[in-house]
Amino acid sequence: MDEIQYIGEHLLPGQIGRMTIILSFVASFLATIAYYFAEQKKESVEATGWIKIGRFSYIIHGVSLFITIACIFYVMYFRMYEYEYARLHVSNDLEMKYILSAFWEGQEGSFLLWMFWHVVLGFILIRVAKNWEAPVMSILSLVQLFIGSMILGVYILETKIGANPLMLFRDTMDIPLFAQADYVDLLTGNGLNPLLQNYWMTIHPPTLFLGFASTTIPFCYAIAGLWNGKHQEMLKVSFPWALFSGAILGTGILMGGAWAYEALTFGGYWAWDPVENASLVPWILIVAGIHTHLIARATGHSIRSTYLFYLMTFFFILYSTFLTRSGILGETSVHAFTEMGLERQLLVFTAFFFVFPLFIFFIKQKSITRIEEEEALASKEFWMFIGSLVLLFSACLITASTSLPVYNKIAELFQPGFEGYVIQDPVEHHNKYQLWIGVFIGLLSGVAQSFRFREANWGAVSRKYFLHLGISIVIAATLTFAAAQWINVYAWQYQILLFSGLFAVVANLDYLFTFVRGNLKLAGSVISHIGFGLMIVGILASSLNKEHISTDPFTQRGLLNEEMLKRNVILFEGKPALLNGYEITYQRDSMIDRMRTYDINFKKLNQEGKVVEDFMVYPTAQFDNKLIKVAAYNPSTQHYLDKDIFTHIATLPKKEADREEAQRMEDSLNYRIIEVPLGAEMTFIDTLNLSDTTMINQFRISIESIIPNATHPDYKSKEKDLAIGAKVKIQQVGKPENYEASPVAVLRNNLVYTYPVQINDLAFKIKLPSSFFDKFFAAEMNLEYRNFDLKEGDAINFNGYEIKLEQVARDPKHPNYQAKKDDIAVGAILKVTKNGESKSELAQPIYLIRKMNPMMIKDKLTTHGLNFQFTKIDPSTGKMSIGIAQSEANITYPIEFATNSLRTDYIVFEAIIFPGINFFWTGSIMMMLGLAMSWIKRRFELKR
Amino acid sequence: MKKIHLIGMIMIGIAIYLIITAGGEVATYSNFDDARGAAGKVKVVGHLVKDKEIIYDELVDPNYFTFYMVDDNKEERKVILNQGKPQDFELSEQIVLTGKMENDEFIASEILLKCPSKYKDEEVYLKNEKG
Repeated sequence: MDEIQYIGEHLLPGQIGRMTIILSFVASFLATIAYYFAEQKKESVEATGWIKIGRFSYIIHGVSLFITIACIFYVMYFRMYEYEYARLHVSNDLEMKYILSAFWEGQEGSFLLWMFWHVVLGFILIRVAKNWEAPVMSILSLVQLFIGSMILGVYILETKIGANPLMLFRDTMDIPLFAQADYVDLLTGNGLNPLLQNYWMTIHPPTLFLGFASTTIPFCYAIAGLWNGKHQEMLKVSFPWALFSGAILGTGILMGGAWAYEALTFGGYWAWDPVENASLVPWILIVAGIHTHLIARATGHSIRSTYLFYLMTFFFILYSTFLTRSGILGETSVHAFTEMGLERQLLVFTAFFFVFPLFIFFIKQKSITRIEEEEALASKEFWMFIGSLVLLFSACLITASTSLPVYNKIAELFQPGFEGYVIQDPVEHHNKYQLWIGVFIGLLSGVAQSFRFREANWGAVSRKYFLHLGISIVIAATLTFAAAQWINVYAWQYQILLFSGLFAVVANLDYLFTFVRGNLKLAGSVISHIGFGLMIVGILASSLNKEHISTDPFTQRGLLNEEMLKRNVILFEGKPALLNGYEITYQRDSMIDRMRTYDINFKKLNQEGKVVEDFMVYPTAQFDNKLIKVAAYNPSTQHYLDKDIFTHIATLPKKEADREEAQRMEDSLNYRIIEVPLGAEMTFIDTLNLSDTTMINQFRISIESIIPNATHPDYKSKEKDLAIGAKVKIQQVGKPENYEASPVAVLRNNLVYTYPVQINDLAFKIKLPSSFFDKFFAAEMNLEYRNFDLKEGDAINFNGYEIKLEQVARDPKHPNYQAKKDDIAVGAILKVTKNGESKSELAQPIYLIRKMNPMMIKDKLTTHGLNFQFTKIDPSTGKMSIGIAQSEANITYPIEFATNSLRTDYIVFEAIIFPGINFFWTGSIMMMLGLAMSWIKRRFELKR
Repeated sequence: MKKIHLIGMIMIGIAIYLIITAGGEVATYSNFDDARGAAGKVKVVGHLVKDKEIIYDELVDPNYFTFYMVDDNKEERKVILNQGKPQDFELSEQIVLTGKMENDEFIASEILLKCPSKYKDEEVYLKNEKG
């Protein structure tokens, strides 16, 4: 077959990028080897040479990686859809601010993000690690080698190794499209999933991946320490890295929770989803590691545990990568990546970093000095170690449950057709166990804090210790009693958890004021532990007392079981709904770009029905990239110090939510045209065939007036348009309400555009058919005007009417006339009386000079069929020329209408109160802040 | 024996106990027949019956949604969900319901949809074109 010469492809960035991927892969291999020899031969003269090669290779590796990333951004930025990655993740209408999000939306991009942070951290290590550079960087390069293989995209013995992010679309598939030389012009991009088009997607992944990458460093130090046997020194230099990792990974996870709470509609920050669990477990482990690390540095105990914790942390990062990226989680998770066909490679990657570190640990651990002397009961190290064990226990439980899909897969291998197991209620399951973890951690962090390491003088300090402990218990118990009333904690298990959280807060505060007294080294730990206690209080308050505002006020709380609880209410536009002490009004909505924002007003009423609070929420509906359907509903939250009111739209009317559906529904409407008299009422009968019944409705309808220069909310006027509206009144016979509607028809370049009006309460849709114009013009054309020259006060007789020029008015006011600047306008006020009647009506034709051009604005009395125009003013005589014409009275106009047009002026809405949620956020942020403080403190200590 | 070892062993004991008791919290996906016999809530997996009525009229009740689902045994049952209708419901390939049988109807408290992702969709389309 002949090679096709393709037109319009940009091959250069792909060629560069693919080359640098290979280069960075090879360079990471070289760096691993060179640093390995640098460490092995560190006593010989060769070492410096090896170090130089290692450094050089790692820099090449990093720079190549940056070029690769730049190439991908380049093809994404210039929308080169001939590249698969660009085609999948960007589109022409994607806003530039989302290009970063689009970059890490795909698996390949997120691997690159992870490697990017490793490169950055590696460069820092090259500068600061000194004699630890060789072993640490050797391991880091090895990790990079493995991750780098995930984006290689080469075939070795028919096996695909990695997925290359710079593949051309035509290399990924074999479809007839590529027989066309100019196929590039035909491509469009898929764009970024609308759910991910928010700022969280810009900040959460880089933070989380920095967290992932940062766990690699303590891991590398751990391997390095086992390798060269300098355990004490390793403990000293790696400590800031571990603290940094704990703070950043924790922040990354927390941001995920904040994202879920702020931008998703499930109403919470944590759902025990396997993907969430998979990132939580490494964090728990590194925190456990930090605690044993402290023990090891202070006492020499727990060095082995510290090693194991850091090795496990990194392994669980890889395990979480495996779970989320291999597709094994299937339907148990809502946010796993799409499969990429690299499951086996991931499995090898994960398995390697399970076996290799353990192997090193078991052959090298003999070199760690074992302290035979047992930790004393009254010492900090004993209780801290117990705390670490509890954390490990927690990590094991979470992992055991999250791995259920993995066991299923394994069982399936041995027993084809095996039916997988699932956890019935994951949230309840995890909460039940983790509750006790929370209790233990809370109590331990209070009890352990005031002990000292290697307490030698327990006899002398025990009195003081127990006094403080006793006071803390009493205060915490009192607070628990008070708080339990506030947040309705009735179950004893929750009361214990509440107590342990408050005890942690009180005991740590006590410790802060009586022992720490400005000792910065200890302050970080105190802040973290107080944060933990507050977090527990926040979790209890917000999840136990979650309360729906948007529920039927007549159903009693507690009477219904969970599945019967009505969560949603319907809100009609402009009609306040009274719900559980709030008056909620859906005021209006507006569309900007792809986002429709709903303005919803809340008024809190007190017992007497007075408004005590008044605020707005703005939930939104986000449409997909083609503007056809709603892709996501975004919540809006009103924040208070003691609670949040969380609101979101549950459903929109079908016609609003789905444009195709709206078109189908519009097409299915049965429009009829009736002739409606101008100025008089008529009655007509509508029969509506529903699936099983026929409904007969009677309506009264009339056209009040014809509106020249009409306006309509959807109509944007252009010059030379002729926009005519009809003011129509409708009433359903037997019902008191009268409805008014003004449908509009526009004539633009000989085409008729019609702007319908929906009367929601009647399910009535009304519009002007194109024949409306025929009637309108015919009525105007056939008029024969007779001219009369009148002065103010003159009266004439015309077809049985007395018409008197009452007054000539300057700056006239008339619905048909909209004044503009520099207009010269004069109105002739005519009093029209039918002969033999005493009642008279007024008409006012207007004579207008606008931009030097004379114009006439007509007026008519439709009931009488009288038309007036003001043709001329004669300045010499002071007489006004008034044209009068008689048209047929009771003229009719065609109106098109359909019944059973469903209403669109409502939303289905959910509003929930989360009390005390700020305790959760404050507490968890304090935990991270404490870790960060300790990190900075230790970092400076090391420099000195 | 050290105290730490003692505590470690106690924890391992608790862990084993928990894993055994947690057995009650896991189950295979059920069908409607299992659900009839079950005491509590179960998870039933199946497919939407597309030619039977799907009722959600928010104007009548925004918290009432019914449809028919057929399970893996080809048993077809009416499902009642006291919630709004989930997005993209009609597109679902598979439905996982949590709830219980009441008379001949399945009262669901939770619903999970498995929808085809846009990428997969495209792949299928392109493959068809190729074949």
